[in-house]
Amino acid sequence: MASSFVAVFEIASFAAIIVLVVLGLGIIASMMGIFNFAQGEFVLLGAYITYLASSHGIPVWIGMAAAPFLVGALGFVLEALIIRRFYAAPIVAMLGTYALSLIIREIVRGLIGGLYLSVPEPIGGSIDIGSVHVSAWRFVIIVVTIAVMIGCYLLLARTSFGLRVRATLENPALARASGISTARIYGATFAFGAALAGLAGALVVPVFSLFADLGIRFLIQGFVAVMVGGVGSFMGPVAGAAVIGTMSAALPWVMAPVIADVLVFVLAIAFIKFRPQGLLSGKGV
Amino acid sequence: MAETEVAGLAPATAQATTRWNVLPILEAVVLVLALALPLVLPDYLTVFATRVAILALFALSFDLVWGYAGIMSFGQALFFGAAGYGVALLGRDLNISNLLIVLPAGVLIGLAFALLLGGFLLLGRHPTSMIFVALGTLTGSYAADRLARGWYYLGGQNGIPSIPPMTLGAYEFEEGPVFYYFALALLVVIYLLCRFLVRSQFGLALAGLRENETRIAFFGYKTQHLKAIVFAIGGAIAGLAGSLYAFHEGFVWPNMVGVVISTQVVLYVLFGGSGTLIGAVIGTVIIEGVSFWLSDNYRDVWPIILGVLLLLVIMFRPLGLISFVLTERERVGRFGITPTNDGHEKVGHGAP
Amino acid sequence: MSEFPGDLSRRRFLSGFAFTAGAIATGVGSWVIRPDWANAAEGPIKLGIATDLTGPIGYAGNADANTAKMVVKQLNDAGGLLGRPIELYIEDTASNESVAVGNVRKLIQRDKVDMVLGGITSSMRNAIKDPIVARGKTLYIYPQLYEGKECTPYLFCTGPTPAQQCDEFIPWLIKNGGKKFALPSANYVWPHVLNEYARKVIEASGGEVVFEEYYPLDQVDFSATVNRIVSNKVDVVFNTVIPPGVGPFFKQLYEAGFQKNGGRLACVYYDENTLNINQAAEIEGLASCLDYFKVLTKDDPVSAKIQAAYEKDYPGNFLFAAGSAATGTYRGLMLWAAAVKEAGKVDRESVAAALDHAKITEGPGGPAEMVPGKRHCKMKMYTAVAKSGNYEIVARSEGLVDPKEC
Repeated sequence: MASSFVAVFEIASFAAIIVLVVLGLGIIASMMGIFNFAQGEFVLLGAYITYLASSHGIPVWIGMAAAPFLVGALGFVLEALIIRRFYAAPIVAMLGTYALSLIIREIVRGLIGGLYLSVPEPIGGSIDIGSVHVSAWRFVIIVVTIAVMIGCYLLLARTSFGLRVRATLENPALARASGISTARIYGATFAFGAALAGLAGALVVPVFSLFADLGIRFLIQGFVAVMVGGVGSFMGPVAGAAVIGTMSAALPWVMAPVIADVLVFVLAIAFIKFRPQGLLSGKGV
Repeated sequence: MAETEVAGLAPATAQATTRWNVLPILEAVVLVLALALPLVLPDYLTVFATRVAILALFALSFDLVWGYAGIMSFGQALFFGAAGYGVALLGRDLNISNLLIVLPAGVLIGLAFALLLGGFLLLGRHPTSMIFVALGTLTGSYAADRLARGWYYLGGQNGIPSIPPMTLGAYEFEEGPVFYYFALALLVVIYLLCRFLVRSQFGLALAGLRENETRIAFFGYKTQHLKAIVFAIGGAIAGLAGSLYAFHEGFVWPNMVGVVISTQVVLYVLFGGSGTLIGAVIGTVIIEGVSFWLSDNYRDVWPIILGVLLLLVIMFRPLGLISFVLTERERVGRFGITPTNDGHEKVGHGAP
Repeated sequence: MSEFPGDLSRRRFLSGFAFTAGAIATGVGSWVIRPDWANAAEGPIKLGIATDLTGPIGYAGNADANTAKMVVKQLNDAGGLLGRPIELYIEDTASNESVAVGNVRKLIQRDKVDMVLGGITSSMRNAIKDPIVARGKTLYIYPQLYEGKECTPYLFCTGPTPAQQCDEFIPWLIKNGGKKFALPSANYVWPHVLNEYARKVIEASGGEVVFEEYYPLDQVDFSATVNRIVSNKVDVVFNTVIPPGVGPFFKQLYEAGFQKNGGRLACVYYDENTLNINQAAEIEGLASCLDYFKVLTKDDPVSAKIQAAYEKDYPGNFLFAAGSAATGTYRGLMLWAAAVKEAGKVDRESVAAALDHAKITEGPGGPAEMVPGKRHCKMKMYTAVAKSGNYEIVARSEGLVDPKEC
C-alpha cells in the first residue's frame, strides 16, 4: 500500500516536470506552427539563472521567481529579431531555432565549464506520511505545475487577452481582419512559452543539477510529447506530456531502465504514425 | 526546370552560353587540392584530412536526402553509427576486417536501417508531413543512442575499442596517405554516382518533387516511393562512411549514432550549400578545418561562433556559402537541354 | 575509470588553467614544457601526457597534468634521467574520445614521445591505447582506478584494481554495515566488471547481494531503486552510479531515510573532489577505499611532503586526490623514472623490461611495487568514512596489497 503510494507519487512528480517543460513548447507549436528547437535551452537558462542566484548568495527561491521573467523577456526579444522570420517555413524554423539553441547552449557551457553543478532546493527534506517519505520539493513541483496549468487555462478561457489569443489560434486571417495585432500576439505567445520553460528549468534544477546538456534531454521528450498529444490546442500537448511523462517514469518500475528508455520513444513514434493528429486534435483550448 | 531558350531571345542565349559554369570548375579545384594534400602535409595532418574526407562522404548522404529530395533527416547518424557498430562487431567477434567484406557490410547495414526507418516514416496510406519525418528521424537517432549506451554487448557507454585495422589480403590499412587516397577515391566515386543520379531522369523527378510535391503526384509519380528510394540510398552511403570511420578511428561509441553527429552533418551541408553535392564537401572541410585550427585557443568560443554563423546563413543566405559563387539556376541544373547559339534546343544526356 | 565531475566555476577553472604559464602552446590543444637545461649530445627525454584538461573530467585531468609538471620539475632539478632533461608534452583529450585519438596521434607521430601517461575513464583508455601501444609502438602508463582485466603488453596500470579496493573493504563493510548488499550501478564497463568481482567477495565473506541493477548514465530519477532498497531492508549500498546520477541518487536515498534506519553507503571512487556533490548530511557515513586520502598527511611525512609541494605550486580547485588519478600519476612517473635509470636507455623494450619489476619507496600513501609479469602495481590501501564533510581513516591495509590482475 505504502509502496504503491510512493510509486504513484514519484510517477506523478516526474510527469509534472515533463508537463511543465512541454507546456511552453506546445503553446508555441500550436499557435505559430513551429517547433522551437531552442525550448530546451530556455529550460537550461532558467536553471542557470537559478544557479547564478544561489551561487551569489541570493536565496534560491528569488532566483526561481526571477527566472521565468528573465527568460520570457529574452524570448520576446528573440522572437522580434529572429523567430518571426521563420513562421512561413516550419522546417527553416526548426533549423533556425536549432542554430539558436547551439548558441545558447555553448554560451552556458562556456560559463559553467562543462561540469555538473548542484543547486540546493528552497524547501528540502522529506514529508513523512506515516512510514512513507516523499520528497518535499517534488511535491512542490506538482503543486506549482497544477497551479500553472489552472492559471493558463483561466487566462485563455476567461480573459479578453485569452480571447484574442484563441482567436489568433483558430483563424489568424480573420483575427487580423478583426483588428487583432497577430504579430503582438505571437510575440507574447513566444515570450510566454519561453517563460514557462524558464520556470520549468528553475524548478527542476535542484533535482537534476545543472549541466550544459540539460536542455537536450527534455527537448526530444518534449517534441514527442507534443506530437503524441496533438498540435493545435492547449490541452493537447499537456495530455501528451502527461502520457509520455507517466510512461517514462512508470516503465522502469517493471522493466530494465534501458529498455524502458527506448520503448517510450518507439511506442510514441508508432502512435503518431497511426494517429497523426495525436490524442486531442482540434484547435482552441 | 529546364532552360528553354527560344529563338527570339537569341542575344540572351548568346550570353547564356558564354557564361562560365562555376560548378564543374569548383569541383575540379577541390579535387586537385584534395589529391595534392598528402604531398604537402605532415602525416598526422593527413590522418586528420582522411577523417574529414570520410565525414564529407557522410555529408554527401545528407545532401542527397535533403538537398535533392527535401527530406529533413535529422537522424542520419543512425545509419552512420549503426554501420560503424556493425563492422566493429564483425571485427571484434568474428575477426573479419577484410575491406571487401566490411565495406559492403556497412553499405548493407545502412541500407537496411534506412529502408526500415524510411519505410515506416515515409510510406503509408497518407503522405506524412515533413515535420513528422524530421522528428521521427531525430527520435530514431536519439533512441539508438540510448540503446547503444545501455546495451552492454555493444560496450555500453564505452563503445567498442581496439577495432583491428582494415585489411586487403595481407595488407593492413594503417592511417596515413594510403588510407587517405583510398577514402578520397571512394568519395570521388560516390560523388560521381550521386552526380549522375541527380542529373538523370530520376533526378528530374526529384527536382519536381522538391518544387511541388502534389503536382508531381498528379503527374503519376509515386512521390512516397521516390522519397523512400532516395532515403535508402542516403542511408547506404552513410553506412559506407560509417564503416570507413570505424576502421580509421579504431573504435566506435554511442555518440556515433546520436543526435550530436546527426545535427552536425546538417550543419555541414547547410553551411556549404544544400542541393549541390560539392557544397556538402566544402561545408564539411570548412567547418572541420576551422574547428581544428581554432579549438586550441577558442575552444569555448568556437561553437558559439559556429552557431552564430549558422544562424546568419539560415536567416540571410539559406542556400549556404556556395550561393556566393553559384547561381540558383546552375544549382538546379539543366536536365539534358543545352541552349545553343542558333537558338535551337539541342537535347543531350547528362549534365552540363 | 569513470566519467564524473567536481564542483568548479569557470573562474576557478581558468585560473587552474594557468598551469599553461611556463607551457608553450604548440598548436591545437597541445603544450610543451621545455626543461631549463639541455643535453646537447642526446637531447631531452620526451614524455607525453594525454589527459582531460577540458570537459566533465577536466577537474581530474588538470590535477594529473599539474602532478606531472611537479614531478618532471623535481626530476629535472635533480639532474634529469640518464643525464638528460625531461621535456613534457601535454595533449588535451577533452573528455571526448574522438578528439583524444587525434591529439594522441600528435604525441606519437609529431612529437615522437618516449612514453605516454594518461587517460582517466576506461572508455578513454580504450580509445587511446591502440594509437599508443599498437599503432604507435610506444609505452603507455594508465594511472586511474579501474575495473581490471587490462593485460595489453606495454600497458602498465598504476591505479587500484577491484582486488585492492574490495578484498579488505567488503569484509569491513559487512562488519560495519550489514550482510545485505545492493549494487546500483551505471551502465558501462567499469561497474559491470567491478560488480562481478565484488559479488564474489561479498558472498565469500558471508554477505548476500539482494539486487544488482544498471542505469543509463544520465538517469536522475531513482525512486524505483530507492524503493527497492528500502523495502528489501538493504544494509549496504555498494554504489557505482556516477555523476550526474549519483548526486540525486544519494539525495533521494537520504530523503527516504536510508541512513536513519542504519544503512551504510559505500562508493569506491569517492575522494575529496566528489565530497562537494551532495550536502554533508546526505553522505554522512559514506565509506570509500582508496590508495590515498589527504587526511593521511597528518601522520605520514612522505604524503605530507607531496601534498604540500602540490598545494604550493598548484593552489586552487584541482585537488591532489586518489579518485582523480593524481596519485596514480605520481606513482606511475616515479616508477617509470626508476625503470629508466635501471635500463640505462629509453627505448620501449628496455624500459618495459625494467618497469616490470620497478619499485619506489616513497609515494603518496606509501611505497609501491610493480608485480613482475603482471604490469599492475602493489600499494597500500585505506578505508575512510565521510564525517561532516571530511574523511576519517578507519582501516589500513597491513602492507602492500596485491592487485591480482593478469
